[in-house]
Amino acid sequence: MEERKIKKMDDNEMEECDMGSDEDYYNDPDPDVTHTDNDKDPESFEYKILEVVEVEMLLNTSVETMCKTIDVSPSLAKLLLHNYSWNTQKIEAEYRQNPEQLLINGKIKPSKIAKGVSRKNECIVCAQEVDTLLGVECRHRFCETCWCQHFEVQILNGVSTAIGCMGTDCTVLMPEDFVLSILRCRNQSKLSQQYQELTFRSYVSNHPELLYCPGPNCTAVIQAKAKEAKRVDCKKCKTTFCFKCGIDYHAPADCDTIKKWLIKCADDSETANYISAHTKDCPKCQVCIEKDGGCNHMKCKKCGHDFCWMCLGDWSAHGSEYYECSKYKENPNIANESEHAQAREALKKYLFYFERWANHDNSLRKEKDKMKEIAKQIEEKVTTKDGTWIDWQYLNKAGELLRRCRYTLQYTYPYAYYMLKGARKELFEYQQAQLESAVEALSYDIERAVLDSRGDIENKMDVVEKRRLTLVREFLVT
Amino acid sequence: MSNIALTRIQREFKEVIKSDEVKNCQIKLEPFEDNFTHLKGEIIGPPDTPYQGGKYTLDIVIPETYPFNPPKVKFLTKIWHPNISSQTGAICLDILKDQWAAAMTLRTVLLSLQALMSAAEPDDPQDAVVATQFKQHPEIFRSTASFWAYVYAEAPRNEKMKEYEEKLKQLQEMGFHEKNSRITALSSKNWDLQAAMEFLLP
Ligand SMILES: [Zn+2]
Ligand SMILES: [Zn+2]
Ligand SMILES: [Zn+2]
Ligand SMILES: [Zn+2]
Ligand SMILES: [Zn+2]
Ligand SMILES: [Zn+2]
Repeated sequence: MEERKIKKMDDNEMEECDMGSDEDYYNDPDPDVTHTDNDKDPESFEYKILEVVEVEMLLNTSVETMCKTIDVSPSLAKLLLHNYSWNTQKIEAEYRQNPEQLLINGKIKPSKIAKGVSRKNECIVCAQEVDTLLGVECRHRFCETCWCQHFEVQILNGVSTAIGCMGTDCTVLMPEDFVLSILRCRNQSKLSQQYQELTFRSYVSNHPELLYCPGPNCTAVIQAKAKEAKRVDCKKCKTTFCFKCGIDYHAPADCDTIKKWLIKCADDSETANYISAHTKDCPKCQVCIEKDGGCNHMKCKKCGHDFCWMCLGDWSAHGSEYYECSKYKENPNIANESEHAQAREALKKYLFYFERWANHDNSLRKEKDKMKEIAKQIEEKVTTKDGTWIDWQYLNKAGELLRRCRYTLQYTYPYAYYMLKGARKELFEYQQAQLESAVEALSYDIERAVLDSRGDIENKMDVVEKRRLTLVREFLVT
Repeated sequence: MSNIALTRIQREFKEVIKSDEVKNCQIKLEPFEDNFTHLKGEIIGPPDTPYQGGKYTLDIVIPETYPFNPPKVKFLTKIWHPNISSQTGAICLDILKDQWAAAMTLRTVLLSLQALMSAAEPDDPQDAVVATQFKQHPEIFRSTASFWAYVYAEAPRNEKMKEYEEKLKQLQEMGFHEKNSRITALSSKNWDLQAAMEFLLP
C-alpha cells in the first residue's frame, strides 16, 4: 500500500512534465488483485511532449555542436543539419572524408562556381543598374529588391528551408541569416515572422526524433528516440496517434495496413454509406429502435428482447465462448464461382469488416457522451450523499478503460480484413471475439451502473484489459 | 504587369531577336496583340527527331510575379510526345515548375523545350498513353510522332504515312467524322483499327 501511494504522487508530478506515462491504465483497479506481466506491455513507449521553446533549445544544441565540429556559421550549420536530417554522425563522417563534398551535398556550396556576370553592376533578374549586388557562396549576385521579391514569392508559397538561389542551374539553398537580413532591410517583419514559423516546421518535420502533434491547432511537438509505430497521447489536445505515421493510433494493425484500409474506405465511401444507419428494427417485435449508447447489446424497450445491434442475432449467443459475430464466414467454394459472384463476395466481405469498424467508431463517440453524462450523475449523487466522490471514481476509470479497449477492438477489423486464412487468423479471430464480448459486457454494465455494481465492473475491467493485452502482445509487430 | 516583369520582358525580346537561334530560324518570339503578358513562341523540331522540320507554336503567359515565378507555357500545335499532353498541349518540364530560377529567360525556356523534344523523359510523363507507347513500342512511337508532325506541324511526309492515312480513311468510312479524334484513337491504340474503333464508340 505504501508503495502505491508514492507511485500516485509520481503520477501527479508526471502530469506536470508531460511524460507519456500509461501507469494509470495498468494500475490495478483493486489493490488486492495483482497483475504479474504488466511490465511486458508491448505498447509502452517513452516520449516527451515539448513546447516550442524546448524544441528550439534542442535544435540549437545540435547547431552549436555542429559549429564547433566544422567551422561554419550557425545558419549554415542549420541548413546542413536540415539537409542531413539532423544526423550529426553522418555529417561528421563525411566531413572527415571530404569536407568540400559535404558542403556541396549540404547545398551550401555550388557544384560548379558561377561565371562572373559580364556587366558589372547590373542585376540580371530585373535588368537594372544598382549600387550593390548581394549573394551567398555560389557567387550569383542580384539586387536587394529582387532577392526580397524572390523570398516573398517563395514564402507565400510555403517554401522556407528549400528556398533556392535565383541563378540558372544553381543548387545552393539560402541560409536563414541571409534571408532574414534581406527581409529586415526591406522592413518585411510580417514576412519574416512567417518565414521563421515555416522554417521551424520544416526543421521539425525533417528531424528523426520529432513529430508535430496532428491534433487540430495543437502546437505540441513529440520527441522520442526513434520513429516507431507506438502510441502517443497528447496531453495538450487529447489526440492519440502513431509516432511513426502521425495518424490515429492503430494497433494491432501496422502503418501500411491502416493506410491501405483508410484509402479503401475513402474510395468505397459511397458503397459503405448506406449501412451507417442509426436506427434498426427489433428482430422480434419490429419496433424501431435508435442506438443511443455505445453498447451493441440492445434491449428492446417494448418487448424486452435482448439482441445484437451488429448482426441482429440473439444476445444470449454473444455472451458465451461462441461469440461469432465478429468473424466473417467466407464462402468456402468461392474460387469456383463466377467472376460476378466473386466480386459480390469481395464487397460483402469488405462491408462486413467496414460495418464493424464504423460501428465501434460510432460507439466510441457515444460512450464519450455517456461518460460526460455519468460524470454529471456522479456529481449529483455525491451532493445527495449517495456515496462519496472517491466511491464513484471507479466508474470514470472504467469508462477510460472501456474507451481504450474498444479503440483497440476497432482497429482489429482492418487487421483481420487483410489477414490470410489459416491458423494465425483463427487465433486472431478467437482473441478478437473474446475482447469483443468483454468490451460489450463492460459497456452494458457501465451504462447501468449503481454503487453496488462496483465489484462486478471492476472484475470486468480486469478481464477486458487482460484480453486486450493478450491480443496486442500476440499480434502487434514491434 | 509589375515594373520588373515589364523591363525584363522587353529586355528578353531584344535578347532573343539578337540571338543566333533566331538567325538560324530555330526559335521565334512575338507578342500576342501588343501585350507583353501574352506571347507567342515558335520552335522548330530539332534534327534527328520525329519532329524534324515541324513548326511548333507555343502559348506563353507571363505572370504578374515574373521572373520570380516561371512563365506558363503550353503547345498550341498538337504534338505526340511523352512529356506533352496530346490533348491539351500542357508540358511537364522541371524548369517550368519548381526548378525555375529568376535568372532564366524565355530564350532558356524555348531552348529547353527544343532539348525536351530531342530527349523525352518517359518516366516523368505528362501523357501516360504516349509514354507507354514510347517504352513498349518505340518504332510505332517514332512513326506516330512524325505523322503528327506532318499533319499538325507542316513537317515533311514519308512513306509510312500512306498506311496511316489508309486506316484513317477506313475509320472515316465507318462514320467517324472528327479527324483529330480518329488520329488520337489510332495513335493511342498503336494503329490497331479494331481497337481504335472500340475506343471511339461511346
Ligand atoms: Zn534586381
Ligand atoms: Zn547561386
Ligand atoms: Zn496535441
Ligand atoms: Zn502508424
Ligand atoms: Zn422488441
Ligand atoms: Zn452480433
